Amino acid sequence: MTGFPFFTRKIPSFAKYFGLFCLCFLLAVSCGQRPNASGPTTTPNVATTSSDRLIVGTTLKPRTIDPADAYELAASNVLYSLGDRLYTYKLGTDEIIPQLATELPKISADGLTYTIPLRQGVVFHDGTPFNAKAMAFSLDRFIKNGGKPSSLLADIVESVKDSGEYELTIKLKSPFAPFPSLLAFAGACAVSPKAYEIGPGKFTPTKFVGTGPYKLVEFSPNFIRLDAFDQYWGEKPPNKGIDFQLLSSSANLYNSIRTGAVDIAYQSFDPGQITSLRNQASSGNWNAIEAKGNVISYMTLNTQSEPLNKPEVRQAIASLINRKLLVERILADQATPAFTMIPNTFAVSKPTFQEAYGDGNITKVKELLGKAGFSKEKPLKLEVWYPSGSAVRQQVASTLKEYATQQLEGVVEILPQTVESASFFANIRKGVYQSALVDWYPDFSDPDNYIHPLVSCSKGSAEQGCQEGASKSQGSFYYSDRMNQLIQQQRSEKDPAKRQQIFSEIQDLLAKDVPVIPLWQSKDYAFAKKGLEGVQLDPIQQLPLWEIKKV
Amino acid sequence: MSRSRAIQYYILARLLLAPLMLWTIVTLVFLLLRATPGDPVDAVLGGRAPDSVKEEYRQRLGLADPLWLQYLRYLGSLLNFDLGTSLTSQGQKVWEVIQQHFPATLELASFSMAIALIVGIGIGALSASKPNSSFDVGGRLFGIVTYAIPMYWFGMILQLIFSVQLGWFPIGTRFPISQPAPPTFTGLYTIDSLLNGNLIQFFTTLYYLALPSLTLGILISGIFERIVRVNLKQTLQADYVEAARARGIPERRILFAHALKNALIPVITILGLTFASMLGGAVLTEVTFSWPGLGNRLYQAISERDYPTVQGIMVFFAAIVVTASIAIDIINAYIDPRIRY
Repeated sequence: MTGFPFFTRKIPSFAKYFGLFCLCFLLAVSCGQRPNASGPTTTPNVATTSSDRLIVGTTLKPRTIDPADAYELAASNVLYSLGDRLYTYKLGTDEIIPQLATELPKISADGLTYTIPLRQGVVFHDGTPFNAKAMAFSLDRFIKNGGKPSSLLADIVESVKDSGEYELTIKLKSPFAPFPSLLAFAGACAVSPKAYEIGPGKFTPTKFVGTGPYKLVEFSPNFIRLDAFDQYWGEKPPNKGIDFQLLSSSANLYNSIRTGAVDIAYQSFDPGQITSLRNQASSGNWNAIEAKGNVISYMTLNTQSEPLNKPEVRQAIASLINRKLLVERILADQATPAFTMIPNTFAVSKPTFQEAYGDGNITKVKELLGKAGFSKEKPLKLEVWYPSGSAVRQQVASTLKEYATQQLEGVVEILPQTVESASFFANIRKGVYQSALVDWYPDFSDPDNYIHPLVSCSKGSAEQGCQEGASKSQGSFYYSDRMNQLIQQQRSEKDPAKRQQIFSEIQDLLAKDVPVIPLWQSKDYAFAKKGLEGVQLDPIQQLPLWEIKKV
Repeated sequence: MSRSRAIQYYILARLLLAPLMLWTIVTLVFLLLRATPGDPVDAVLGGRAPDSVKEEYRQRLGLADPLWLQYLRYLGSLLNFDLGTSLTSQGQKVWEVIQQHFPATLELASFSMAIALIVGIGIGALSASKPNSSFDVGGRLFGIVTYAIPMYWFGMILQLIFSVQLGWFPIGTRFPISQPAPPTFTGLYTIDSLLNGNLIQFFTTLYYLALPSLTLGILISGIFERIVRVNLKQTLQADYVEAARARGIPERRILFAHALKNALIPVITILGLTFASMLGGAVLTEVTFSWPGLGNRLYQAISERDYPTVQGIMVFFAAIVVTASIAIDIINAYIDPRIRY
């Protein structure tokens, strides 16, 4: 007989073996634990998280953990656990305290030279002793290797030198009052000179050798494993290590904490998922941790485009924004309305937009637009652009459109416009958009970081707008001599009270000129399995894992 | 021309066509990537990098050169079997990225294909053997529904039922993070754990593999179900089957020993094409289940505008599909005497 002996003879025997295999498989699966009253456990025998290690689920995958090249939230989350910086923040505050330094820096009278005494008895994860030479090497490398965040220090620092075995001297190009905050940036950590090289582009994206409470064990595409460093100079973590489980979707993250597959779920959830997890926290097997965030969402207005080149039009748009509505309807109260670009976690924050325009002040909108020559017959047409991937911003644009239609009887016509995110960010600096919805993630914790990178301008004029500098790259093209002066003044000012006064004036000026309109300040959420102690969210250092203990 | 000579010419022609097919795919991928909005340098360096730094980076990567020059350079490196270097995983060769992630995809695809074949052929045979019965209606419905359901939706539903509600299966990933993974021999955890003689690791791997491979396998099985049902139904009406029945051969034996083998020939024919949909489906399944395979990495590379990685993975996938397609054609040429050249 010709044909297929396999099918005629083998199929029945194959079916037998396959059936046997399926039976074994089902037996193996069914031998596991079943969901219990306190919540289901998904991973019978194989993924229980009862050890002294913590499993942290997140959707943020670090592109690199080389501190000289890492500039994303995903990496800083890991770097804060792996590396020590000269200075850090007292947990839960923006107060600067020494870490690898032993005290706050001595600053020369001209504000240009910082002398920093360093801690002794510190060793790197590879056993190399830490000293001023190693710290100078680390900061030099950060500047010279030309990574993503290098300009943070490169724009400010003139030179870094070891002026003693345990003393570091840093010279600045110009006075910069928040410099210690900049030194607390996650990437400004000490790295072992034996493990790294100085040279443009010489990065080690999957390795880390620093002095932090944890050392890197493995960096793989779907997880990052850290072990507690037994020679750590400071207080040792109360857990034995951290396993970052990198998930590809927020749905996976959401399900992972619900089923107990991870100990902590942190970044990034959709607003609906956060609401659901918060609501179920009392009956579920997890706790919800909420904290003030430091991300500001705002609308940028192109001050060089018609008719937004008229200040009263920009002021009218600022009056139109109803932040309470946006926060309630779209963000499910997972944010707070922002009336200034500086978050209310800083003492200098002053809600100048509320004082000037209120919130959804329709009378003021009509009055200002009337002055600018707009009416029902000649409405203001405002394009509001946003990246297509952002559902939240899409809803903000639609809500603003509906709100304007309902409240203003045709005087303002909002036109939501979307474009793919890569094009959005490339075009914004070209002045293509009338207005745009964007977020600001700070680099370091100082009010300067919410002003200088957004509205300063290094070259331009009041008539032509900004031709070079931050406000151009942010799409507002705002130019103000006074604003530039104030920014420089606060950067040089050492007296906190005087600096606060300058920030007050800056915020007043922003509310008057309206190149940007603050919308809301984020809240930060993490969800932790019950039975964990010390879980907290820090506005700067995110999730301090070195504080968490399993009980 | 004798049949064996004809087959040899046919195989030669198919082999010669393979580079042409690959070149077409490579060119399309290259052009489509460049037509997609978004600058890879912006994506890599971020919005805040100075223009001078970006320009220098663009020059270094050759992205400032004319498109035709970039294209020729790319073809040149492909001819030297060089897929380039990832823009985002600095310094990592694309080939290393593929080596790192492909075993997970291969394992998922293999198990999914096994499930698809078993489920598809089984339901198809059952439908065809009992025409117009409730089995048949159910089978047809199964074929239509599995063909129409979106992969990610089905994956999420299975996850919701079997992971979240029932707690039977893990949420995603390939192996529990709290345990050391099997030592790497082949990169396929099932095989590696067996080679290591560790049955716990083997069953753990299967346990993590179950839901993603069921998702992909069940959705792909619809294709096989439809083909097997139609062909088997026709075959069961053929003269030789009638003759077998007349000889008193039991129906079950006729079905398995006589009819099914002929009905399976088209299944072999479409295996190559199904393999392409399998890889496409693997991308969605891997993203849905956080499976650390090549599909997941491709998705990440696309969102990061990592041209070399996207191109490299696509070329690799294309090479697999072309090879599988040629292999199926050759097998088919040998086993199906009706094929003419």
